[in-house]
Amino acid sequence: MFPTDAKYTKDHEWIREEDGSYIVGITSFAAEQLGDITYVEVPEVGDEFSITNEVATVESVKAASDIYAPISGSIIEVNYALEDQPELVNENPFTGGWFFKMSASNVEELSALMDANSYESYVQEQDH
Amino acid sequence: MHKTALFDIHESIGGKIVDFNGWALPIQFAGIIKEHSQTRANASLFDCSHMGEYTVKGIDAIEAFSKEIISDLSKIPVGRCRYGALLTESAGIIDDLITFRMAKDELYVVTNAGPLDIVTERLCANNPGMSNVSFETAKIDIQGPKARESALKAGFKDTEALKYFNALWTEWEGQRILMARTGYTGELGYELFMPNDLAKKVWSRFQEIDYVEPAGLGARDTLRTEVGYGLSGQDFNKDYTPLESNMQPFIDWDTDFVGKDALVAQRDSNTHDVLVPIQTSSRKSPRHGFDVFDGEQIVGQVTTGTFGPSVGFGIGFARVPQSLSSPGTELTVGPKKIDVEVSTIPFYADGTCRMKL
Repeated sequence: MFPTDAKYTKDHEWIREEDGSYIVGITSFAAEQLGDITYVEVPEVGDEFSITNEVATVESVKAASDIYAPISGSIIEVNYALEDQPELVNENPFTGGWFFKMSASNVEELSALMDANSYESYVQEQDH
Repeated sequence: MHKTALFDIHESIGGKIVDFNGWALPIQFAGIIKEHSQTRANASLFDCSHMGEYTVKGIDAIEAFSKEIISDLSKIPVGRCRYGALLTESAGIIDDLITFRMAKDELYVVTNAGPLDIVTERLCANNPGMSNVSFETAKIDIQGPKARESALKAGFKDTEALKYFNALWTEWEGQRILMARTGYTGELGYELFMPNDLAKKVWSRFQEIDYVEPAGLGARDTLRTEVGYGLSGQDFNKDYTPLESNMQPFIDWDTDFVGKDALVAQRDSNTHDVLVPIQTSSRKSPRHGFDVFDGEQIVGQVTTGTFGPSVGFGIGFARVPQSLSSPGTELTVGPKKIDVEVSTIPFYADGTCRMKL
């Protein structure tokens, strides 16, 4: 049910490798829980984060949520389209609704993340 | 949880059901923003059967009721409605309500779900002519610029006669339905009060119309905030008076009501806080419960905060001292101290509710 080319965090972020950098977003599960997203605050290119640092904010009509760095690294690219069209996150959470692209300062950190199957089980537990 | 007469329909069409004051109601169907926009562009159907309804019959019963609320009922001619509130002895708001005068000796009163038991006890216990009909009554709101066309298509005849903030008994397929040209969205629309066993039929007739869609509590909340309406239990409760809750125009000072002495005293000393509209200049939203800061000092609380889909920025209401209540006053709110400005209502000024038909 969740893209198998990505890994997942307990806070419902996904991370996908592309040409040596890593694209990050939030999962369809998170987007659904939040409801219609009204605002996304993205980091700046060049910002550096350690794993689990707060890196972005998402607001919906009824709630606000922080997004955490799934791995340590620095921001290479940001999806500025989200500023005017935050609904992209609800519409295409795994593609057009990407948040940012980052470099990895410690690739080992990826192995601690969940694969699509583990995330699927994790989400099923959440729903109960 | 209580279920309304329309629960099965909501479930079957994919409504996301939540517990709202003990009622199982849909917070959304297609999505809050879609439903909000749909209401402002076409027409939406809302199930508001959780709300309270009371009948008041006979001059004595009306007299007794009038002493309870801040409205001067002599100001309500037959066919007209008036917004008011029920207070405690210390002028705290138990609930806001709307009184409809259906005849010289007949009123219909609409209240909210939260304080229903307390309101019933207060109003009905010592007033034999006042009855709680909430649990037998379903309420369907049709709201939006196409609400009148929709109502006509769905078989409601008397829309021509009905002016804004008026109500009448109408006949629909041989049954009596109370139709009020009122609502909670700022758009043209009607509140339809009917026996429970009519609800599914009426709802289905509206649903057949291609430009009518169901909307849930989430959209109801963004719509009402955009036009400046408060929510009982959230923007005000029994810890706050009408003067602290932006109800000044609805206090009929020349009439008697429970809590009047306390309210007069508060008015005369004039040191009370006030409820003001606030807005951000971005898509960031204030939230209910956020502290309001003037510099480093906490000066109040946000009572309602959300994103206004039709205006494109964060909106809400906050209770602050009068000294900080002028439009243009800059404050910050919440743990991240987002910038807000005191503004004016409505945030959304193009609502069609007063449209001349």
